[in-house]
Amino acid sequence: MYKHLFKLIWNKRKQNFLFLTEILISFLVVFAVFSYLTYYYKNYTKPLGFDYNRVWAIGYGGGQLSKNPDTLSIFYENLNKALKAMPEIEEVSFSSPNYPYSDSFMSAGLSQGGKKFNNISDFHVGRDYQKVWNVGLVDGRWFSKEDLVSKDKGIIINETFSKELFGTIKGAGKLIGDFDNKNKLKIIGVVNDYKANGDFVPGNNVMFSQLDTAYLKYTSTLLIKVRETADATFESKLYKFMATMMRSAVEIQHVDEMRDARNRETIIPVLLFIIVASFLIINVALGLFGVLWYNINKRRGEIGLRRAIGASGNSVSYQLVMEAIILATMSLAVGCFFAIQFPLLNVFDIPASVYIIAILLSVLFIYVLVFICSLYPGKQAAGIHPAVALHEE
Amino acid sequence: MIRLQNIEKVYRTETVETLAINSISLDIARGEFLSIMGPSGCGKSTLLNIMGLLDEPSKGNIKIDNQDISSFSDKKLANFRNQKLGFIFQSYHLINDLQVLDNVELPLLYRTSSPKERKALATEALEKVGLSNRLKHFPTQLSGGQRQRVAIARAIVGKPQIILADEPTGNLDSAMGNEIMEILMNLNKNEGTTIVMVTHDESMAQKTHRLVRLFDGSQVQ
Repeated sequence: MYKHLFKLIWNKRKQNFLFLTEILISFLVVFAVFSYLTYYYKNYTKPLGFDYNRVWAIGYGGGQLSKNPDTLSIFYENLNKALKAMPEIEEVSFSSPNYPYSDSFMSAGLSQGGKKFNNISDFHVGRDYQKVWNVGLVDGRWFSKEDLVSKDKGIIINETFSKELFGTIKGAGKLIGDFDNKNKLKIIGVVNDYKANGDFVPGNNVMFSQLDTAYLKYTSTLLIKVRETADATFESKLYKFMATMMRSAVEIQHVDEMRDARNRETIIPVLLFIIVASFLIINVALGLFGVLWYNINKRRGEIGLRRAIGASGNSVSYQLVMEAIILATMSLAVGCFFAIQFPLLNVFDIPASVYIIAILLSVLFIYVLVFICSLYPGKQAAGIHPAVALHEE
Repeated sequence: MIRLQNIEKVYRTETVETLAINSISLDIARGEFLSIMGPSGCGKSTLLNIMGLLDEPSKGNIKIDNQDISSFSDKKLANFRNQKLGFIFQSYHLINDLQVLDNVELPLLYRTSSPKERKALATEALEKVGLSNRLKHFPTQLSGGQRQRVAIARAIVGKPQIILADEPTGNLDSAMGNEIMEILMNLNKNEGTTIVMVTHDESMAQKTHRLVRLFDGSQVQ
């Protein structure tokens, strides 16, 4: 029967061109949607690597402070102590401006085994940064005061990056060159992968280095982890305190809100795309329905004949659904040929598994769509009265 | 072979009720070649459709091969038609997108048979109607007579006991009509196939064993 149906479809390929094109275009649109969704879902399911809850970022300008480095160092130490002494504050850390969700990016490069590694997110952080964000250590340790005076500058990297550099061998304790391979850096710890740009965006390779007190004058960000008791009144009090201390404008941002905003930036375009694609799919579904309906009305004589020579109502219905499925298979074969080029050519540097899953989901979606659209016309065809249909012809 | 008892067929619309067949009883013996004649609209095709189980009578009883088909399900009816009946239509009802061989194979698709078997049986049926050299042609590449011969091959490919022919020569000139009639008579004579033929052509009807005349839905002869 399948060979017969295939022959029938092949001989009517010109009449079926519209149907085949509709399915092909739908598949490509659905493939794009599923590629996006799979990519974002895969990123979403990966752990963040830190805890953003109850973390506030305080931005300030330090231009009016003393120029004397020693005085400044004592000032920042006192500021740290004063903040920690507040009952609503759990932890305090200075940070470069590129903390998670901050829209700020600093990158560095490293050299290892004659190979250069670029675009590594470079975080300059205080000693208590780990406690503020609850960053999980996989191997080694976090920064200590002694690291500031050690011969080789200590850095901490993320787990995936460690595996890229050393494979299965532990990264902690290893020496690695800076971008020009002129200075050696010592990896003192390895942390969980760190997804700093939003839940749906993959985490970069990251490198943490400790902020020297001499460089605190260049920083303008203080991160604090507050207790659950920290409310708007405390925020107002904190604002006044910081403005007085720093003698400048101060901005306090809640990191969880920054995260929401960052996620919205990713989700909204995707939602718009899904809405547009949904309208297209609805149109395609109606189109398929119409084409199948039209075909059945054009083939009433044939259906009547098939009933006369031994086809039951169900087998007529089955035949029409199968014809639509075979047509869809022909379009999907062409569509898959194009879609498979994406993982083969590593388009957009997205993992091949994302494209493969998107292809499989799209194929399944199109089959379900075609099946549903052909079900009712098939049922109608089964109801055609053979005597009437044969007489019409 | 076919027994019709008090068959009545009424077509109803919201406002009109039309009596197409009025209490017809008919016994058709195995191996008989029967023709049905009558003016247009007298119910000939309706009666043939009822015999072919393509239409249900409003009243009455049909037995084919001693089987009462009134209780048959749609699936069983379809299977019965496939095994026992062959149809020939005035307008051939060939599928123009399929080659001659594929058209003839059609009834075999609805029963268990291998592609090889189907091809052999279809080729044999086409040889019987003298079209073994047109297997790969499409119906649109054939003359009317040749198309009707393909339709006959399709009707006989499943070796049915009964052939129901609805004006098989109606669209053909007399020479081609005679050719088709010749084939049907040979089938009846050589294979013992029971044939019921609806026709307008008196000369064709005279060639059959028995003639039944209908008028306004009733049997008059």
